[in-house]
Amino acid sequence: MPQQLSIAIAGAGLVGRLLSWRLLRLGHKVQLFDDGDPQHSRSAAHTAAAMISPLSEVVVSERSIYDMGVSSLAIWPRWLEELNVSAPTPVHYAAPGSLVVAHPADMAELEQFYADLRFHLGADNNARWLERRDLYDMEPDIAGQFDRALYLPDEAYLDNRHLLARLLEEIQALGGACFAHHPVNFMPEATLGEQALEGFDCIFDCRGMGARQSQKDLRGVRGEVLWAQTDEVQLRHPVRLMHPRYKLYIVPKPGNRFIIGATEIESQDRSPVSVQSMLELCSALYTLNPAFAEARILELDANLRPSYWHNLPLIEHERVPSAGAKAQNIVRINGLYRHGYLLAPTLVEDVLARLPDFTHPQTDTV
Amino acid sequence: MDPLKLYGENFSSRLLLGTALYPSPQAMLESIEASRCEIVTLGLRRQNPKDRDGAQIWEAIKGTGCRLLPNTAGCKTVKEAVNLAEMSREIFNTPWIKLEVVGDDYNLQPDPFGLVEAAQELVKRGFKVLPYCTDDLVLCQKLLSVGCEVLMPWGSPIGTGQGLLNKYNLRTLRERLPNIPLIVDAGIGAPSQACEAMEMGFDAVLLNTAVAKAQQPALMAQAFGNAIDAGRAAYSAGLMQKRQTASPSTPVIGQPFWHQQSRQQ
Repeated sequence: MPQQLSIAIAGAGLVGRLLSWRLLRLGHKVQLFDDGDPQHSRSAAHTAAAMISPLSEVVVSERSIYDMGVSSLAIWPRWLEELNVSAPTPVHYAAPGSLVVAHPADMAELEQFYADLRFHLGADNNARWLERRDLYDMEPDIAGQFDRALYLPDEAYLDNRHLLARLLEEIQALGGACFAHHPVNFMPEATLGEQALEGFDCIFDCRGMGARQSQKDLRGVRGEVLWAQTDEVQLRHPVRLMHPRYKLYIVPKPGNRFIIGATEIESQDRSPVSVQSMLELCSALYTLNPAFAEARILELDANLRPSYWHNLPLIEHERVPSAGAKAQNIVRINGLYRHGYLLAPTLVEDVLARLPDFTHPQTDTV
Repeated sequence: MDPLKLYGENFSSRLLLGTALYPSPQAMLESIEASRCEIVTLGLRRQNPKDRDGAQIWEAIKGTGCRLLPNTAGCKTVKEAVNLAEMSREIFNTPWIKLEVVGDDYNLQPDPFGLVEAAQELVKRGFKVLPYCTDDLVLCQKLLSVGCEVLMPWGSPIGTGQGLLNKYNLRTLRERLPNIPLIVDAGIGAPSQACEAMEMGFDAVLLNTAVAKAQQPALMAQAFGNAIDAGRAAYSAGLMQKRQTASPSTPVIGQPFWHQQSRQQ
């Protein structure tokens, strides 16, 4: 085994947890610090719908997001298999592909979606048009409402809240130390309370929105979601509804539950869901199948997506002089925006591959 | 110099750009730069403005050096629009307001009655109102009579990209209100449509979706900037009248007659 490293990770969101878990599996020592209680996460990863949908997302971003997403689609099943080995109930993961629909009056939105896919992906665009009959075979409970749909093969989704809890269990089982209510500050030296963090080969800043004070170009993009439950409608695929003004999705979750999201508002506002957004989310649900009218609303949630100006993720390494004996290796991983589950495994693998650089005592910046 | 004059201020660009719907703030800022526009609109309605929760993005937009034209997008009543205008004036320290009062939820068509009422109230409160209106002449006259000095009739409903749907009405506005700055706002999908509006003598064009949702927004912004320049230059230069019969630009006299024959063969 290569040299055992001692690693500190600030932020127990999705990236912090995945990175802790992978480092522990490689035999390193990990201490995970969070400013809240990881058992009751307030991270964006807790609010998210947790789709792994490279095709859908390339339409609102760029090719690199697709490439990272495709790589994550290969990593997730492998990682979940490892996580599920010792789990009493496995974390739900499915890759049935997803559906994109628009009402007949909004068909131009669907055509535009397809044109954008072709623009970004060229020959890699494997989206397929479905007529009403194909849609009926694939997702009978919404077929009545739509003449046409697009099918995006391979896109996946997972049960994120279960995953987050399971990761925490696994981190502890592997001997990782997890500290709740221990905020790490980066100014830029990493400190815990008044003390510099000492004795670590590398300190990872995975705080998401928690890093906003020290990173001025990080911003939050508000998103609002709704959870509903009904046994009257069954969905096998995540469904995206294209509308001239809002693009929303419905993702099935275990227990006849559905998550509907998400609004996208350029605002740092973390206050509860607005009536306007609630109306939009409920309308989207209702128009998929009117039987959703009697679904029960389980939860409304609003959160912020940590984002940089280009809405792309960044991994940045810096050696920071410290009051302690040696300089600190600090690596920031942030800006996953609306692509947490799509990008996190790929970014974590990238970080692991660069670990020798990050922990090399001579390295200044990478 | 052929400046656009709005409420006593001169602008060299005749394109006004919206700041919503871009794939990222960076794409938005690059588009603003590529378009060479000098006025940008921005909406606060959903950003929880009373707590300044959108401040980070507002600062970035301010950093472009463009004049800010806050709008009341999303407001459906006079009271909502007036309140949001007041908040915008306080936040951005400007009396300019793009007034929108939505009358129909589906196509975001302006409510003409609410619009006149809100415009009257805002003018009374010292605002410089740029109302987003339909292309109805009488509505436009009413807006002028309550104190608006600039009008922004639609080309077609917001986000449709249908272009200039009712050219008869738009031409009527231009002819009947020759001294009022008229900005075609909404519905412009292609640079050719923007160019056409400018050729018809409109003073400027305001758009958002066609640039923001393009696959390469900055490139489309540049295309619109060029088209609007071309349309304005064409209007100033004086477009020729369309004619029923072809008129040769070289005289027929002196042209060898066998040329005609060879064509007929």
